[in-house]
Amino acid sequence: MVGLFVRLKLRLIRGNLHGDTVKQIGFAFTTLAALGCAVGGFALFALLRLAVPGVAGDLGIVAFTVFTIGWILVPLLAFGLDETLDPSRLALFPLTTRQMAAGLFAASVAGPWPLASLVALSGAVVGLASGPSGVLIGVPAVLLQFALCVVASRAVTTALSASLRSRRGRDVLAVAAVLVILLFQLPGMLASQGFSGDPRVLLDSAASVLRWAPPGMAAHAIEAGGLVGLGELVVVAAAVAVLGWLWIIALRRALVTPDSSNQSGGSVRRSRLGGLLPGGVIGAVVAKELKYARREPRGRISWFLAVVVTGVLTFSLRGPDGLTGPAFVIGPACLAATMIGIQAANSFGIDGRSLWMNAVAFSSERDVRTDFAGRQLAIAIIAVPLLLVLSVGASLVAGEPAWAVPAVLSAWGVLGVGLGVGAVTSVILPYTLPDRLNAFTGAAPGQGGEAFLGSLGAMLGTSMVALPVFVPLIFGATWASVLAVPYGLLAAWGGRRLGGMIGHNRLPEIVAAVSRPT
Amino acid sequence: MVEGKPEAVRTQGLFKRFGTQVAVAGVDLIVPKGSFAGLVGPNGAGKTTTLSMVTGLLRPDAGLIEINGHNVWRDPVKVKAHIGVLPEGLRLFERLSGRELLLYNGQLRGIARDEVERRADELLRVMDLVEAQDKLVVDYSTGMRKKIGLAAALLHNPDVLFLDEPFEGVDPVSANTLVEVLQRYTSSGSTVVFSSHVMDLVERLCDWVSVMSRGSIVAQGPLDSIRRGRTLNEAFLDLVGARHGGEEGLSWLGSSSV
Repeated sequence: MVGLFVRLKLRLIRGNLHGDTVKQIGFAFTTLAALGCAVGGFALFALLRLAVPGVAGDLGIVAFTVFTIGWILVPLLAFGLDETLDPSRLALFPLTTRQMAAGLFAASVAGPWPLASLVALSGAVVGLASGPSGVLIGVPAVLLQFALCVVASRAVTTALSASLRSRRGRDVLAVAAVLVILLFQLPGMLASQGFSGDPRVLLDSAASVLRWAPPGMAAHAIEAGGLVGLGELVVVAAAVAVLGWLWIIALRRALVTPDSSNQSGGSVRRSRLGGLLPGGVIGAVVAKELKYARREPRGRISWFLAVVVTGVLTFSLRGPDGLTGPAFVIGPACLAATMIGIQAANSFGIDGRSLWMNAVAFSSERDVRTDFAGRQLAIAIIAVPLLLVLSVGASLVAGEPAWAVPAVLSAWGVLGVGLGVGAVTSVILPYTLPDRLNAFTGAAPGQGGEAFLGSLGAMLGTSMVALPVFVPLIFGATWASVLAVPYGLLAAWGGRRLGGMIGHNRLPEIVAAVSRPT
Repeated sequence: MVEGKPEAVRTQGLFKRFGTQVAVAGVDLIVPKGSFAGLVGPNGAGKTTTLSMVTGLLRPDAGLIEINGHNVWRDPVKVKAHIGVLPEGLRLFERLSGRELLLYNGQLRGIARDEVERRADELLRVMDLVEAQDKLVVDYSTGMRKKIGLAAALLHNPDVLFLDEPFEGVDPVSANTLVEVLQRYTSSGSTVVFSSHVMDLVERLCDWVSVMSRGSIVAQGPLDSIRRGRTLNEAFLDLVGARHGGEEGLSWLGSSSV
């Protein structure tokens, strides 16, 4: 059974790569990266040998814990990428739960990343073991820690697999993925803020707690060796056994629970806002775009990111060697405007395969232009107040409320420029957004180039077109920000005219480009 | 002109190639006005590609397409307002509710909001979607998606309706609703063109049939002239040259084998 599952996994990897050069290159890079991580991880763990004994042990404990958490979180966020991990696919085969658990365990161990973790973890034997008994205990400790990672990760994914397959579960996860990425930025932010506290003390207190959890015990066992180590190994082994048992229970339940992916969600409230919007095509497009910004996880994420990045930047610029003068407020505000504007760089991407509905209705350049106007208006309805709040916030952080005025004016101008440039890149370099966000690709297979060029083009285009606003500001002429808003409006108008002209002639090609399978 | 009736749809030498594969190799499709027309053919015959080109969603490599006498690709203003489309694959705005989808569609077609709301409410009632009207399309079942897609295609009262596999994966109750709506629609003189490979259904509904095979039309005309005394299924299998290979091999299959 074990061999069968490992072969299945390898065959799936090979089948996925078959005849697709981009994927093959991608896989080669992944393998290289895994190899690098294996060697690097091993070396880092081994280098613990050089640290002060107490610190080395603490670091080992924290690292083992982080490894386990990583093993639990990463497959959750990347669920769907690995078919061998989804128990529902195996539900119809005449296998006992125990056979299936063994097979799934083997399948999740096969592959470049699991092997890389095993290699990296074994570095701990070199780094932490003190004397021969440490080595003797270290080898089983590393194997048990590895098993713990795998079993814990399987147990959690299996327990959640039903909700992960439902639409709502996936929506929540898509947003959670971004939160997790941000969480990893937190230590850096704290550090840059001169977080008061000796890192040594921090590490010590963290390790003294984590030391009693199974991963911490495994690390401690290697360091301690002897009878203490042996005792701890028994506890870790028991933890693996309990998790394995929980996993089998979850598996048994998952196999007989009906697929909930077709379960329907609740109703949505009818919006009363509709009455306030202009009628006709513009109103319809604005209403649709505003709903998408709220209901589509990918839409929510980009807004969320724009706010968070600006916030982070505002705070990290506050240091002694940061920007000074009005630029301290204008800079982050304009950055936020640029990031929001980038959302418009592939306007049709979120519509994706439903864009045909617009294409069968649009018969003239004017229709496409009106569509762009609606999209720009929808973004502006959210972005204009948002940029105001961000500018005022940044000016308060700076202690100069008056700076909010030039900041918000130039941000609004940059937003207009971004929307105008976006209308053009949307029709020249449209690409499909994948249904599921992941950290590695922002486009359908084979369209990475378009996605990269599109974002880069929008970014460069926005900066170039916005230069007339920026240059006076850089030389301290803050009054020039008064001109930013009319300039931005002009750019947005010009952009949608040009976009309409090109887009009307390219409608079938645009529909095809954003409708690729992902 | 066919039998004194003007043509709703006419293509001439329609051609489309994807890479080295020719998907549509010179299709001359004719559909008379007011007919309930079926476009039938095996998988890969080019039905979807043809319908995509006819509805202006896919640019043909060569050939002429006219709807009500207007060139689809040269004169889209005169064509697009008068056609309704339900493409294959149920691609709809997933994050709108069924009702919002109809409102969006109607307004996009330039119909006043009050009128769109009135029509949408009626369509939702006829399609039996009133209960689900405020649920997101992403949570709809296949039958519900086909019905809301058809409602969206009918909302602006088009003269010609193009449906790609409208009955695929639809339960009998929903299928019956779809058929009733379509029959009422054609009885008023409007034209329906739909692709399918369910021969019984085509035989029951259509008065005009075009048979496609390997990228071209192999037979086309009123239903009876295609059938010529056979069932449509038999006529179809003869026309596309289906081989009879089901009796060789598989000797182990079934209860009689030991």
